[in-house]
Amino acid sequence: MPKPPVDYANVPLPEVRIMTNRLLSAKTTEAVLNAIDPIQHIRQVNMTGESLPAVIGSGPGKGLPNNHTERQVINVAGREVELRCLVGAFYIELEVDDTDMLEATVKEIRSACESTIPDGFSLDIGRYSKYKPSLNDYRSA
Amino acid sequence: MAKYERQFYPGKSVPAANRRRYMDPKVKLKKLRSVSADDVVRLMGHRAPGEAYKSIHPPIAEVDAKVDCPIRKIVEPIEGAKTGDRVRYIQFTDSVYFAPISPYQRAWMYMSRYRGIDTGTLSGRQIIEVRERDLERIAKDLIENETFDPALTGIRGATVHGHACRLDEHGLMFDGWQRYLWDDKKKEVVYVKDQVAIPIDTKVYVGKPDSQKKLRGRTTIFRADGVDMRDDKEVTDFYIRIHWLRTLGGYRPFDVKGE
Repeated sequence: MPKPPVDYANVPLPEVRIMTNRLLSAKTTEAVLNAIDPIQHIRQVNMTGESLPAVIGSGPGKGLPNNHTERQVINVAGREVELRCLVGAFYIELEVDDTDMLEATVKEIRSACESTIPDGFSLDIGRYSKYKPSLNDYRSA
Repeated sequence: MAKYERQFYPGKSVPAANRRRYMDPKVKLKKLRSVSADDVVRLMGHRAPGEAYKSIHPPIAEVDAKVDCPIRKIVEPIEGAKTGDRVRYIQFTDSVYFAPISPYQRAWMYMSRYRGIDTGTLSGRQIIEVRERDLERIAKDLIENETFDPALTGIRGATVHGHACRLDEHGLMFDGWQRYLWDDKKKEVVYVKDQVAIPIDTKVYVGKPDSQKKLRGRTTIFRADGVDMRDDKEVTDFYIRIHWLRTLGGYRPFDVKGE
């Protein structure tokens, strides 16, 4: 039986992973996203970080509002985005055709991050999130 | 026969020396800040400041005074036990980013310095349980002395997550419940919630955090980017010896000779 081709479920698009040295405040996250937003050839941006619950989930204060100052609605290029975590990483999926385009885009992203992230970051290029269905996606309910 | 002298910890490195200092009850730890007794009560949230202590039994002197108990003759009860106080707790979380002390050394220190306590170690936090009025005295001591850093030590009764997270932009250890904030005007850390995240009426200032450079001189934490444990030969040999003896003790006890 022939092996499936490598582009069986499309060739994965490259991703840029930005890990910040410190967890970012809502204000800095907003600045980073607004700096990244106008850059061309970006397909999507995902963020991860430490969760900020809306309410206290356990203990004697269970059910009380948490009122975390960094759990805010930020404005990214005119759209409102509700932050539910203290952001520590960005995964930026790129839609590029060749290495030159990739390098040019990464250069722009790096420059945007350098001007907005005060305590430094590390930037890697690869594929860090899932891009095709795996066995788990065919699990019956 | 030479008089037995208690030993605490091997090694010549800075964390090793700090471990010895924190554990040795003869060493008086430096007081770095002052927090009032009422504020300590607020931070713990077991009773309101000024409220009477609740008791779970009558004073010991009044209970079965005629019982001839040999243990009572040997052991002097702590103040809270004498009066029948409830057992309450305080729990600290210590960041891995060179906090002054870490949970396991807290256990060693507590057992070495305080009487009448029960303590438990978890990966990032250390609970201490003791009679209420003794707890308040001990908690005040622990918040004021050099084992506490406002940014890297958290007073957290529940949901302690954060000790191994990256610090935030102000250098504070992450806390999803945000019990403490950075006061940019005073450049101090201020508690706005008690240890179980119930808001408190009066803000409690716990002072300025120390710089990372100074904290590296105060810490008990061995880290590859600080003092690597493997660089302190005496400490490494000590752990290798314990590991070796425990393994032999478990599997080939007949090979343990001369120990």
